[in-house]
Amino acid sequence: MARFHQLSVTDVRKTIRDAVVVTLQPLNGGDFDFTQGQYLTFRQEFDGTEVRRSYSICAGKDDGVLQVGIKKVDGGAFSTWANETLAAGMTMEAMEPMGSFHTPITPDAGKTYLGFAGGSGITPVLSILKTVLMREPHSSFTLVYANRGVNTIMFREELEDLKNLYMGRLTVIHVLESDAQDIDLFTGRVDTAKCKALFEHWIDIESVDTAFICGPEPMMLGIAAALRDHGLTDAQIKFELFASAQPGRLKRKASTATEGAAAKSTEATITMDGSARSFTMNKDQSILDAALENALDAPYACKAGVCSTCKCKVLEGEVEMIANHALEDYEVAQGYVLSCQSYPLTDRVVVDYDQ
Amino acid sequence: MTDTMDIAEYLSKGGRLTNPANVPTRYRAELMKIMATFVDSELAGAAGFANVINAGPGIKERIAAARIVLEKTDNADKVLKLMGEFGANTDRYANHHPWSDRLPRDTAPGTPRSAHDMRLSVLNYPLDGWVDAVVMNMLMGLAVGVQLTEFLTSSYQPFATAIREIAPREQRHTELAVEGLQKLIKQGQTDTIAQSIAYWWPRVSESFGAGVSPRSEALRAMGLRRRTNADLRDAWDDAAGAALADLGLERPAP
Repeated sequence: MARFHQLSVTDVRKTIRDAVVVTLQPLNGGDFDFTQGQYLTFRQEFDGTEVRRSYSICAGKDDGVLQVGIKKVDGGAFSTWANETLAAGMTMEAMEPMGSFHTPITPDAGKTYLGFAGGSGITPVLSILKTVLMREPHSSFTLVYANRGVNTIMFREELEDLKNLYMGRLTVIHVLESDAQDIDLFTGRVDTAKCKALFEHWIDIESVDTAFICGPEPMMLGIAAALRDHGLTDAQIKFELFASAQPGRLKRKASTATEGAAAKSTEATITMDGSARSFTMNKDQSILDAALENALDAPYACKAGVCSTCKCKVLEGEVEMIANHALEDYEVAQGYVLSCQSYPLTDRVVVDYDQ
Repeated sequence: MTDTMDIAEYLSKGGRLTNPANVPTRYRAELMKIMATFVDSELAGAAGFANVINAGPGIKERIAAARIVLEKTDNADKVLKLMGEFGANTDRYANHHPWSDRLPRDTAPGTPRSAHDMRLSVLNYPLDGWVDAVVMNMLMGLAVGVQLTEFLTSSYQPFATAIREIAPREQRHTELAVEGLQKLIKQGQTDTIAQSIAYWWPRVSESFGAGVSPRSEALRAMGLRRRTNADLRDAWDDAAGAALADLGLERPAP
């Protein structure tokens, strides 16, 4: 099961005005020997509420360091903290690297890679391109990198250096939304039409073995559509959806006081797929079984409190969770329960499967 | 390039999700069910096959059976690891159910799965000796092949990636079964084989579930499934019929 480990922050460096590169050193174990393109999930308390955020590793396998890039998002508690407060000497908590945004390294192969990055979506793509250029000496990489303007390009100088280091094997095409460039094609957004135009003269799409895409959703869809139109299969297109799409966590609602009731039944209200249903259930029946009995399509798998499929949130009333092998303390603190293991204690309970 | 899009719209347009943090609640629930069904079926399949290793008539057969047990267990591990990233307790999960449990052999086809695991219904029936195990492995292997084509395009990319590694191994298990059947036919065991085909055909067929599940549309919109159960069953029917014909065997009368 995924666990958090402590990491010491050894360096925090600004890459552009509102993004930092954080260098980390594991303190007490955990396997942080990452695969290029993977991400770390961090947790941090803000005003008593735990926030978890995932950020991609931007270091290559041979850089000898563990580094993530964190771009400040408007209103984002974690990214603002990382950009304004985080400093060398502090400690962070993260789970071991996860993610499947990579292909196996084959040193003898001469592969052609195509990478698309939008804004801070560059972080995992940078890790991949550094690693494949170093470990696959016959492979080449073309990066199409979309940004608003010149001053928002993360790792611009590092990419220039890499271009010089891997002369002829790394091509970087900057596409800028608002800054005009010498070539019209390199101005605007990276969408299906732009990709098609790039595939005509700038990128030999036929030779591409694998394409990596990381950026905002509409950009990824547009690029994927163009790639499929040009004959790439799903197996050849790797996506990474970046952190901005992570749902925010709601504050826990105050639970109503327990009444000294001894009734055997409970008035239950269960919200699922946007609609609420109320019924009377027995207190010796689990929330999950009651929901299923009342023709609600409640999610479950193991019914043993280990898989977490049946997770739901208690909004009102109290339940007793007789076993919990899957939820973490912070989830329980927020009111989440495993419905297969939860029995009503109060005469009224309101639970929500949609949160 | 910071504009975002509603996740539901993104998925309906063929978008991919890549980690537990950006997965919506309902999607999480459906994905967990799909992965649990896969894991439970692999674990139950491996557990059932483990018991027939010693029934193998020769060393080669026992190696093939042992390899199937090993690889199916490993396939389960690959997907269970992904469930772990969502919070599942993987150590407990692997042991929370007696995976070798089976119903009596004469239980009617289509009996609902047991209450405490998500294995496909066909894996509730016991194997009856070596020939029976080989027949079941071929018919079920072809069904797994059809199911896995659905998961290869799953909108949850880590799952699709895991399946991409798993699918060729499962295909090899089916090939081992075909080779096994060729040998058994040469040994004149055609009648026993025919009996097993008659037993397993309706049970494998039932494992595809109801023709049109009420969730089909929702699953399609989320990019977790593409075809209906009925479509998958038809694809299996064709593949299994063709495989039997290649072996000079007949499919059972409906």
